[in-house]
Amino acid sequence: MAFLELIGLTKKFGDAAAVSKVDLAVEQGQFVCLLGPSGCGKTTTLRLIAGFLTPDGGEIRVGGRVLSRAGSSEPPERRNMSMIFQSYALWPHMTVFENVAYGLRLRRLPKTEIQSRTDTILAVTKLHMLRDRYPGELSGGQQQRVSLARALVVKPETLLLDEPLSNLDANLREEMRIEIRNLHDQFRYTTVYVTHDQTEAMTTADLVVVMNQGGIDQAGSPEDIYKRPASEFVARFIGGTNILRGIRMGNDAVKCANGLVLRCDSGDFAAAGETAVSVRHHDIELKAERPPGDTNVVSGTVARQIYLGSHRDYLVEIEGGEKIRAVAPVSVDMPTGKSVWLYLAPEHCRALAR
Amino acid sequence: MTSATLTAQRRYGFDFSRPVFVLLALLLCLLVIFPMFWLVYYSLRDTAGHFTLGNFIALVADPTMVRAFWITGLMALGVGLLSTVVATPMAWLVARTDLPGRRIVRVLVLASFVTPPFLGAIAWEILAAPNSGIINVVYRWMTGNEAALVNIYTFSGIIFAIACYTFPYVFTLVANALDRVPSDLEEASSILGAGWTTTLRKVTFPLVLPAMLAGALIALLQALTLFGTPAILALPAGFHVITTKIWSLFQFPPQPGLAAAAALPLLIVTVLLLRGQKWILGRKGYTVLGGKSGAPRITKLGAMKWPAFALVGFILSLTVIFPYAALIKAAFTQNIAEPLTFASLTLQHFQFVFFEYSAARLAMWNTMLLGLLSATAVTALVLVISYIVTRRSFKGAAILGFLATAPIAIPGVVLGVGLFLAYANPTFMLYGTLWILFIAFLTIEMPAGYQQMSSSMSGIHTDLEEASRIFGASRLKTLWLITTPLLKTSIIATWCFVFIGTIRELSATILLTTANTKLVSVVIYDLNESGNLGAISVLGLTLLAISFAVVFVAQRVPLMSGSRLQARG
Repeated sequence: MAFLELIGLTKKFGDAAAVSKVDLAVEQGQFVCLLGPSGCGKTTTLRLIAGFLTPDGGEIRVGGRVLSRAGSSEPPERRNMSMIFQSYALWPHMTVFENVAYGLRLRRLPKTEIQSRTDTILAVTKLHMLRDRYPGELSGGQQQRVSLARALVVKPETLLLDEPLSNLDANLREEMRIEIRNLHDQFRYTTVYVTHDQTEAMTTADLVVVMNQGGIDQAGSPEDIYKRPASEFVARFIGGTNILRGIRMGNDAVKCANGLVLRCDSGDFAAAGETAVSVRHHDIELKAERPPGDTNVVSGTVARQIYLGSHRDYLVEIEGGEKIRAVAPVSVDMPTGKSVWLYLAPEHCRALAR
Repeated sequence: MTSATLTAQRRYGFDFSRPVFVLLALLLCLLVIFPMFWLVYYSLRDTAGHFTLGNFIALVADPTMVRAFWITGLMALGVGLLSTVVATPMAWLVARTDLPGRRIVRVLVLASFVTPPFLGAIAWEILAAPNSGIINVVYRWMTGNEAALVNIYTFSGIIFAIACYTFPYVFTLVANALDRVPSDLEEASSILGAGWTTTLRKVTFPLVLPAMLAGALIALLQALTLFGTPAILALPAGFHVITTKIWSLFQFPPQPGLAAAAALPLLIVTVLLLRGQKWILGRKGYTVLGGKSGAPRITKLGAMKWPAFALVGFILSLTVIFPYAALIKAAFTQNIAEPLTFASLTLQHFQFVFFEYSAARLAMWNTMLLGLLSATAVTALVLVISYIVTRRSFKGAAILGFLATAPIAIPGVVLGVGLFLAYANPTFMLYGTLWILFIAFLTIEMPAGYQQMSSSMSGIHTDLEEASRIFGASRLKTLWLITTPLLKTSIIATWCFVFIGTIRELSATILLTTANTKLVSVVIYDLNESGNLGAISVLGLTLLAISFAVVFVAQRVPLMSGSRLQARG
């Protein structure tokens, strides 16, 4: 049995459902990322798990015990969870030490244990020099680490993180990302991490849950999500992609309006109507001559080329007027206006029924 | 299995917040609705306890009563008008020009704010009574004239004396509005070719007009519901206003039904005026949106600088400097009219008040006791109420906010009547105890305390509290460990505010006090009847000194350094 289970979880604000019928099972010690654009319901889901909100339908179970259900929920203080807030939520009237020791004091542990556990975690998070400072006297990165230390010192069963890195600058963000994952590997608590940044999700999580409009679009390993997106939304949101639409042709191909036939090695075809085909930017080959074969080849004109040092970013207008974005090695240099051929290899074409 | 575990856990750690909510709701209903219920009830009963409209008929039939209503209305209009006319230019000069000493002006306006109106009225008695008033004495001495120059015991005198202590309302509102008008609105007007007077007339003035009207309404409302100043100045002048009339209905033989009936129109007018004020201030499009757009533009006065300074100085002399000087002189000299010489100095008034006059000592003790109790109780109450309301922890939490603000619409005299009717009966027997005064102060001070506390409370990020919850603290524990320490400054401010408000209250107190439960404000009023102005001045100055001391001490208590509070989040 999974450790943390969401079963048909639903939350409405007024008439609008912020989260609707979400099912998710998280194993003990797993690192899960809820990923999605703003307004997709990921933060609401996290706050439901934390117990700050009471669901309107469905259940939340931890270790088989029901913590939340429609109309009743165990208060946050009795869930044995920890949370890291986007704003860090450090109490400005307490020192670093007091902030970190707060949870232990509430658990009425002996003074010596509070002291030693707090000092240990402060050392792990490299904060021991700052223990008597107030949060107002710390930098953003230091505040972030205090909030991390405060969340970890209580040895929670479950750690919740609400966009914890969004207030940091880029370098620090990468460093903290790795630190968060390392601490997780060290202590092995079940972690639910909310973010809108796909790189954050890909680099930290065991299980990425892509959310859209209050529901889960796809849950899987980072590789699953990237290589085998289940929907157009996921394909677009993770990594960026080109979407071409057409009618299913035979068993494994899609015919687009401009005559282009794309054979797809993977994915699901829509039973009726249009099927979308996703091809990643860097999976498209740009050629000056027409490549051999009848399918997966289309001609076009270079509409824009940007030199980016490690590669070139092309925008190609293909027959029928659609624009395709392709990333090519620096050596492939085609000026704007030039006629080119695009090869979209079948193994990189993924058919998407949704 | 699931529902069993859930209930079992609920029992294990009982959440107190819901019972607290219910208790508070009941308490507020008791404070606000109960006395108002009895007010309406008594106004509709005759002495035998039957339903009647007789009280209202008697009200309309009594020409002295109708006259009191008229006089009150005219007086309030006069005060509203005078306050606005005086305060608006002054606010503009202070907020938007290079007038010398602008900060001192603000401080002095604040001082007239803090002065209890009844004390100001007495100060003006000392200054402008027709015979003994210092101004008239000096005038006669200088001109040899026999007549009096000014007489405070007149209709216009009363308007003046009240306006001295209501103009700060208009001043503060208009000055704040002017501070908030972003300079680019005025610069936009200038760049399109308007001169500074045109800009002032067409842009700045219309933008602060709502604030001005709102201030005028408050001044008017104060005048309408004030008891002290009219009682001190109008009764010798031989006329009544509505509040003094209600008070006289409590003198022997008491006519509570009639008093209740007379109090109701005052209540209704207050509610309507406050609605009007809210409507004026709340209209969208008129409010200037918060300003990142630059500091307000300062107008150079040039040659008009010193005349303007003189004008402001003159106004402040009338409202603060002369009255305070008069009180100090009266406190230290034998006879208020005699010229100030070294030989005339005396401490006998101090000796009288502090050592000989036992009523004053009892009143001091009562006042301090009630001040401390009310301030502490109100602060604790509004802390919990505004927590529940701003955090919307329950459906219907907003009702607490409504109940806590409702007493703002109940004039002191009206509340006094209501409380008298509710508690001065054989069931409660609270009349003649300090409890009934305590209840009155709790009710009167609740709205201001609540507004102050809830606005600071909503400034605290909810994350800080949620963090505490997830680390294991219950709602109440979080309130105690996180919210309260973060609110320390506003808690102290609220406490001081309530304390100062309590020790100067007269309008409700005058109806609820008895020989054993006299307060300083009442003693001052009594002493005024017997004409002992020296003792009054000593008591009044003591009240003021305590008020200022409380503010001073509260600001100096080493709580925590400001820098620590500037943390993020």
